[in-house]
Amino acid sequence: MAKFEKLIKASLLACTMFSVLVTVLIIASVFSETVRFFSHVSVIDFLFGTEWSPQTAMREDQAGSSGTFGAVPIFLGTFLVTLIAMAVAAPLGLYAAIYLSVYASARFRLWVKPVLEILAGVPSVVYGYFAVITLAPLLRAGGEFIGLSIASESALVAGSVMGIMITPYVMSLSEDVISSVPKSLIFGSLAIGATHSETVKKVILPAALPGIVSALLLGISRGVGETMVVVMAAGMAANLTINPLESVTTATVQIVTLLVGDHEFDSEKTLAAFALGFSLFFMTLILNIVALIIVKKYREHYD
Amino acid sequence: MIRLFERRINIAVQRVKKKKSPFIYKSYSKKPKHRWLRKRKAQERRFKRAGMLAILISSLFLTSLAWNVFSGARSAFTEAQIKLSIDFQADLVEKKAYRKIVQNALLDLFPEVNSRKDKKHLFALISRNAPHVLRDSLEKDPTLLGTQQDIWLPASSSTSIFYKKSLTENAKRIGKITVTQVAWITQLTQTKQLRLRFNFSFFTNGDSREAEHAGILVSTIGSLLSILVCVAMAFPLGVATAIYLEEFAPKNWFTDFIEININNLAAVPSIIFGLLGLSIYLNLFGLPRSSSLVGGMVLSLLVLPVIVIATRNALRAVPPSIRNAAAALGATPTQVVFHHTLIYALPGIMTGVILSIARAFGETAPLLMIGMVAFIADVPKTFSDPATTLPVQVYLWANNPELGFVEKTAAAILVLLTFMVLINLLAVYIRRRFEIKW
Repeated sequence: MAKFEKLIKASLLACTMFSVLVTVLIIASVFSETVRFFSHVSVIDFLFGTEWSPQTAMREDQAGSSGTFGAVPIFLGTFLVTLIAMAVAAPLGLYAAIYLSVYASARFRLWVKPVLEILAGVPSVVYGYFAVITLAPLLRAGGEFIGLSIASESALVAGSVMGIMITPYVMSLSEDVISSVPKSLIFGSLAIGATHSETVKKVILPAALPGIVSALLLGISRGVGETMVVVMAAGMAANLTINPLESVTTATVQIVTLLVGDHEFDSEKTLAAFALGFSLFFMTLILNIVALIIVKKYREHYD
Repeated sequence: MIRLFERRINIAVQRVKKKKSPFIYKSYSKKPKHRWLRKRKAQERRFKRAGMLAILISSLFLTSLAWNVFSGARSAFTEAQIKLSIDFQADLVEKKAYRKIVQNALLDLFPEVNSRKDKKHLFALISRNAPHVLRDSLEKDPTLLGTQQDIWLPASSSTSIFYKKSLTENAKRIGKITVTQVAWITQLTQTKQLRLRFNFSFFTNGDSREAEHAGILVSTIGSLLSILVCVAMAFPLGVATAIYLEEFAPKNWFTDFIEININNLAAVPSIIFGLLGLSIYLNLFGLPRSSSLVGGMVLSLLVLPVIVIATRNALRAVPPSIRNAAAALGATPTQVVFHHTLIYALPGIMTGVILSIARAFGETAPLLMIGMVAFIADVPKTFSDPATTLPVQVYLWANNPELGFVEKTAAAILVLLTFMVLINLLAVYIRRRFEIKW
């Protein structure tokens, strides 16, 4: 009997080790390909080069046959799209969370919260379709109306649709944080005559700040890693620009374009995708860890 | 306070003088007297409205998304058919020249068409798949050979779209339709040789180069196969991991490390899992490219942390008294877990698993990495056959600018969303029906 117990425990432990193995495998596989990439292209060129044209030439003797791998335009594009997304998601998600937890009646919350959470369950490819079919032509027409030329694959379209996509995520995270603020603080503030909005601004938000900051960081990490919306709605060309009306590219878009339909894995082109993937992994990891640390370190303990 | 009281009395007196009830009067203090108070109230209103606005914008977006998909998809569920009097000439059938048979029937109908260009436009009314339909009907019923039959054949996608539009509005030219084609379609409509039918082929066909012939069967089956592999891998692994961490793991740095690991795994962008699948499964293990096996394996890594976290929460919700009671009756630790705790936690676990299936079902990005983004027209029979999934099919069609594919994209999205809703409803049902409140 004791042997059987031990066997079961051992097999459970083995299963647990598998999920650790997955993380190790991710890091190992992506990292080793990245190292191979950097044996062809120098790290400095990758991190600080401003020109990205991974297409190798058809013939060997053609000029610039090796392709250039300066990832700055890609990082900048990723940053720009994520910034636009957060400019949409942060106010929408925060205000919705505040309204739901402070003002809304229980009935209203019961109906509206699931509706907003549907938005989180819609597959990202649907958002991409919406961005391409509906929002891009709309913004283009709107831009023409006021005399602006908006590229059909502008950062604005991709970013704002991605923002809508992240909104329910930010909302539910910050609602959890807001509702965990002790009721005695809120009632105390209301009892001395503060209005609800003053209570939110002066009491709830300061108390919930670490949680909200970490919710926003998690939202950013989600936006950085989001793929389908940007693949469908953002551009392919790596433009070095911070103009949201122009077409930019992101790390995920480049990974997809470099790897889809390619069967050989020795060229610098495919290895570059792994280097981008590693930077992506690294970025999101840092964001998540920082979010975790902020919550742990700055959370106020009220009891 | 006294002044306030006086004022109320005054108002009441005035109302009596005007022969109105003294007890119902308009609140005189609708606007706060002091400016700073007014300012605070206005601020409060603004803040509340901003919150309302945020919710309104989000739900407005949801409705416009739903409306877009619905209105775009509606037309894809019907297809136009053209009635042609087909002459199954033996010599043409012999040569398998079914295309010629269709073309002859069209020319019989419109004998005035002579020039090469006009003929090309005329033949474009009918689907390129029509000859296959003839062949199939002849194989089914060989007695048709040599006879003349009225047969409804599928119209081409551009004819179909134009006809559907012309039914509801005064359409002129849509897409690639020419003026002469419009005239022919009008004539066919008047002689009742054009009709709309429910588009069964959308649910029974695979992908196709012709929009009118493209369907979602193959991608749906690919999705189901992948989900099957995904669940078969992730469910036992995830539940076992959760049981170990929640019930058996000693409290030490190593357990903490595993926990942090799993939580971080949940936040890794999905495309990274695709990269892992590409370099480990395809390059290292040499598993078949673009197969539902590899797709399911990649998806299982993606949902593993979700299942672990859901299972742990479900296990944690079971009160310790259950465990203590079982142990007091002499159950060993594994018996406690497998005979008691796990049973009570099962509804919660199932809900988590079903929700993670919903997530895997809608996932696209990692599947692009392992080559599931391919033109696949045949139903995958085994797990190692090339397959594609429903969301990837949506992505493929969305890239095609042809009008026929635009409506197919919306229809496929509608089917995808329907699956999502069904899966989520199942989860809600299980939670409501079986969950135990302690």
